[in-house]
Amino acid sequence: MLPPYVYLILNILVNFAVFLIVTLSLNLETGYAGIPQFGRVLAVLAGAIVAGAVPGRLIAYYIGEKWGAEYANHLYNFPIVDRINREILAPNPLLSIGILLFTLVVAAIFGGILGYLSSYPALRLKEAYLGITLLAFGDALQIIGKYWQPLVGATMGVTVPDPYRCIGIGAEKTIGATLIFLGFAILIYLFVESLGRSPFGRALKAMRDSEVAAEVYGKNIVRLRGWALIIGGAIAAVGGALWAFYAGSMKALTYDRLTWTFWPWAFMMLGGTGNNFGVFVGVLIFSTVRSLIYVYKHALATIIPIKPAWLEYILVGLVIVLISLFRPQGFIPEKPALSVKRKEIERIKEAITSKKAEA
Amino acid sequence: MIDVLLTAIAYSSGLALAAAGITIIYMSTGTFNFAHASFTAWGFYVVFSLFSLMKGSPYYYMILGGLFGGVLGIATYYIVNRWLLRAGADMVTLMMSTLGVDLVLFAAINIFADYLTYTYHFNPRLFVLSSYDFKLGSLYGIPVSGIVLVSIIIVVIIIAILQLFLTRTKMGIAMRATIENAMLATVLGINPELIYVLSWFLGGFLGGLGGAILSLLFTGTPNIGMLLIVPEFAASIVGGLYSVFGSLLGGFLIGISQKVGIALLGKWLGGWIIVYEPLIPLLIMAVTLLIYPKGLGGLPWGKIYKRLFKGGE
Repeated sequence: MLPPYVYLILNILVNFAVFLIVTLSLNLETGYAGIPQFGRVLAVLAGAIVAGAVPGRLIAYYIGEKWGAEYANHLYNFPIVDRINREILAPNPLLSIGILLFTLVVAAIFGGILGYLSSYPALRLKEAYLGITLLAFGDALQIIGKYWQPLVGATMGVTVPDPYRCIGIGAEKTIGATLIFLGFAILIYLFVESLGRSPFGRALKAMRDSEVAAEVYGKNIVRLRGWALIIGGAIAAVGGALWAFYAGSMKALTYDRLTWTFWPWAFMMLGGTGNNFGVFVGVLIFSTVRSLIYVYKHALATIIPIKPAWLEYILVGLVIVLISLFRPQGFIPEKPALSVKRKEIERIKEAITSKKAEA
Repeated sequence: MIDVLLTAIAYSSGLALAAAGITIIYMSTGTFNFAHASFTAWGFYVVFSLFSLMKGSPYYYMILGGLFGGVLGIATYYIVNRWLLRAGADMVTLMMSTLGVDLVLFAAINIFADYLTYTYHFNPRLFVLSSYDFKLGSLYGIPVSGIVLVSIIIVVIIIAILQLFLTRTKMGIAMRATIENAMLATVLGINPELIYVLSWFLGGFLGGLGGAILSLLFTGTPNIGMLLIVPEFAASIVGGLYSVFGSLLGGFLIGISQKVGIALLGKWLGGWIIVYEPLIPLLIMAVTLLIYPKGLGGLPWGKIYKRLFKGGE
């Protein structure tokens, strides 16, 4: 057994990792591209559904277990997945890694497809109208996942095959899974950050600030929005799939718009919209506070007369209100896009004019 | 089928009022009010707690539920919305700020429910008020609850009052002028602040009143606002977002198609489809936004009327 503070740190880290991934994807769409993504839960849930439905079925088919509609029935699902974990995944680290990566790729593809479909309303509607439409999409998928049993077991949910089983069971598995999760989160952070600095990211910001100006400079608005939604959706789906793998079970019920759309919004607003490092800080603050509230809820209950769960809502609500009132740019405001130094620009200009003078 | 239709009518009335509230706030301040979910839920809880404490009939406390919603609306305006409007915040920021308000109010409902549990030993997390409703009589052997008639009467009264207020009083005309063009209205000496407060009060009042009506139909839980906010938004959007009467109509369209539509589908396709009922308002909303964002309020009613009853031009 590990000392309790290690569990606290692991809890903070895993919350941090999953919300960092989801909030970064939200930041790409909302902070960079200016699309009010009120349906973040759509892609996250799609990723979780892929993790719950695809890898287990593949292995069940391979070892001759039920893999059709019965797979999602909780009566069959638990023993099948238990057998998969014990007989297939535990002794085969290589296969486990393969299954993990394969599922993430499939999840990313599905998230990307959903992002592409979201670009249909995103090109026709604006601001709040678009936000509400995207929110409707997210809710619709949750309702289907919640009630359509053959997909992921409806209200009972399904057990997700455990690719971390080969690390062991108990403490070492928790540590390993958390570190792998964190590794993916950091990789995605680096990817999104470099994407933001690339010509593509700058074009997104230009589009956000003035669509007309971006079009005048030859940027294709349709394509930019589409790609922002596709990449954002793919990243969020990877986050959802990783979360389902970590949790070991997948219930569509738990993927609600509050946790997976509005909380990432609050984290992003706190840290700084349009700034990945701000998002990093915002998510870190929030996941630390959330884990502390969760761990010390009994101690808290003796100090304040309300249940700590509601304290969490009040906290998130107040942060949203106070940030939008007093510091709309967030803790760490977005920096102007990196550009070439002034001297360098003047040197180039000099070179061009001197060339013209020669000619 | 008749019982479904009766429930659908009462449900639509509550929905229509709440949707009209969303529309009023949106028209005058440009804020999509997520906190409406909590206004509605507070309407539920005002009726429930007062009825449990003082007995009588749930109907006595409906107006108080509405007034409490109105007070919440005014508080939201003065604490949050006013400063953002002054700073010229964009639509998405306005919307997000009301979401923050909603989360705080949602926590407040839960704390209030805990308080009721500890102090009075009620069960405020699963209450059914419909058993305290009076019976009007029966229709083809099916008992008719009082709420069906009362809700329709309330909607008619609200329509009459709104119509009189918006067309016959100086305040109402000033309100329409501000919605049309705030700058020009200011030039004419209308104080837009007053109009904004008024519309937040009216919006909150209608949201609370809608919740009070729905409290006699649904099982009350603190989550009720989150469940109802989507049909409410859907009704407001189908109504066109720029017409109060459009959103009342939208409320009935959404409510009837949700309750009656799912009953019919259940009959044709089998009972398994019943659980997908919440998809109906979502689909109607998304399709309206994508195909005809002007909604019911944007239809050329004058022309339609002429073509139907006067045989065209």
